[in-house]
Amino acid sequence: MSAIGTDEELTARIAAYLTEQSGRTVRVGRIRRFPVGFSWLTYLVPVSGLDDDVGERELILRLGPDDGLFAPYSALPQVRAMQSLEGSGVAVPRAFWHSDDPAILGAPFLFSDKAEGEAVVPWVSPSEPPLEEGLRIRLAHQFIDSLAELHRVDWHGKPIAAMAGDVDEHNAALRSVQTWEALIRRWQMRPYPLADWGLRWLKTHCPRAPRVTIVHGDYRTGNFLQVDGRITAILDWELVHLGDPHEDLAWASMPMYKGGTPYIGRLAEPDLFYGRYAERSGIAVSMEAVRYYQAFSLLKLAATHMAAARCFEEGRFNDLRMPAMGSQIATCLRQMVKTIEATA
Amino acid sequence: MNNSFARLIDGMCATLRQEVLTRLDDEFARGQVFGVINLLNTFKVRADWSAGFLQQQIAAQQAALEGVRELAATSSAAAGLPAMPQDPLPAVVPVAELLQRRDDGNRAIGEWLAWLDVGCQALPGDTLAGIERLLRQAMDAEVQIELRNSPRPLFAEMSSGREG
Repeated sequence: MSAIGTDEELTARIAAYLTEQSGRTVRVGRIRRFPVGFSWLTYLVPVSGLDDDVGERELILRLGPDDGLFAPYSALPQVRAMQSLEGSGVAVPRAFWHSDDPAILGAPFLFSDKAEGEAVVPWVSPSEPPLEEGLRIRLAHQFIDSLAELHRVDWHGKPIAAMAGDVDEHNAALRSVQTWEALIRRWQMRPYPLADWGLRWLKTHCPRAPRVTIVHGDYRTGNFLQVDGRITAILDWELVHLGDPHEDLAWASMPMYKGGTPYIGRLAEPDLFYGRYAERSGIAVSMEAVRYYQAFSLLKLAATHMAAARCFEEGRFNDLRMPAMGSQIATCLRQMVKTIEATA
Repeated sequence: MNNSFARLIDGMCATLRQEVLTRLDDEFARGQVFGVINLLNTFKVRADWSAGFLQQQIAAQQAALEGVRELAATSSAAAGLPAMPQDPLPAVVPVAELLQRRDDGNRAIGEWLAWLDVGCQALPGDTLAGIERLLRQAMDAEVQIELRNSPRPLFAEMSSGREG
């Protein structure tokens, strides 16, 4: 956080930057950091003087600090995804200014529109009442339809195509596994042979992707906003990449996100989730591929927890959610094993 | 310290819940307090007092009581008074050494797993299956022991800042 400085320092830097970018005198009100998120820092930034706005408007600023969970960061993947989805049926905030130059605000950053709404969190305590049935069903349908719409987007010729590399239907799974294997090697503070065993299984059982699509990478309850049952924005695009759409289906359906209900993401019956998705996306869902990616998802989650444990151990964050996440590595690996065994 | 480790943990958690959280409004700060409670609950099932200072206390007792016995050796009236047990204290294994041993074992298991992929063609299939089964047993045992010694995580509370 040191490079970002205090809220007062950040506010002054934001005002100077937006003034320079817009060519107008931009004033910034009291910025406020949201308590959500474990990786990018998210701020609400009230500004006035932008464009022809005479009054105050609110922007969202996301900062990828150099001591963050997935550091070093780049704003580019998120920006490319958000730009590629403008005008599509996927509700995304509009991306404005961005840069990976830490000299400007102390860290890579991205300004975007502020979407209205509240998040439905996946982690609920046992005493939390279930979602009201009508609300649950309305959100379930949109949650599914948005994912189907995302996977229908023809990304060729859009900004996100710059991230394609050599990915194709045959190697999409392996490329993703290799990406996460490298992250595990970077983050693990001690050997986890069960993770090695899982990687070994994943590499030898790669499914062929039905097509290469935009993959959100963290598509789940908690990463969308809603107002009265209407999804207003799909958020948190930092893990976006091109790959097998089953990767998103599996991630969304992880047991951790069911919130003690039988529903995927606290929202959708599994039959509805996969059936409606297939109908809306035009992609035939392979349950074998879903199970493969569910096992992979559990390994990815274990890897994320390894990152959290390392982040805390190195003193980069004192956020006590980090060691709590770190304590869940065994849980994820155990569930990964069960998923693989059920697949065999 | 005159209270048990477990009771102190319970007391700290109760104080945080009843005396701190009830007076704290900031959502992020409340989530962090639940994070502290979560960690304290983990310490309760995994930690105890350090053996080091107890050994020092016992050594001081031993030296004093042996000295007293020597000084009072000529007094028949002192013959019935207690002495320190002469049994050697149980060896205390430094936890750092145990952690190192566990990691070395896991590293060895990882190397055996990799060898199964590349260097084991000479072995019959049932032998290979037996090797993999044993490695799996060790790996499964590690996570099961870990899970048996983990309290329910308070993710919902940490995220919302509200009691479950």
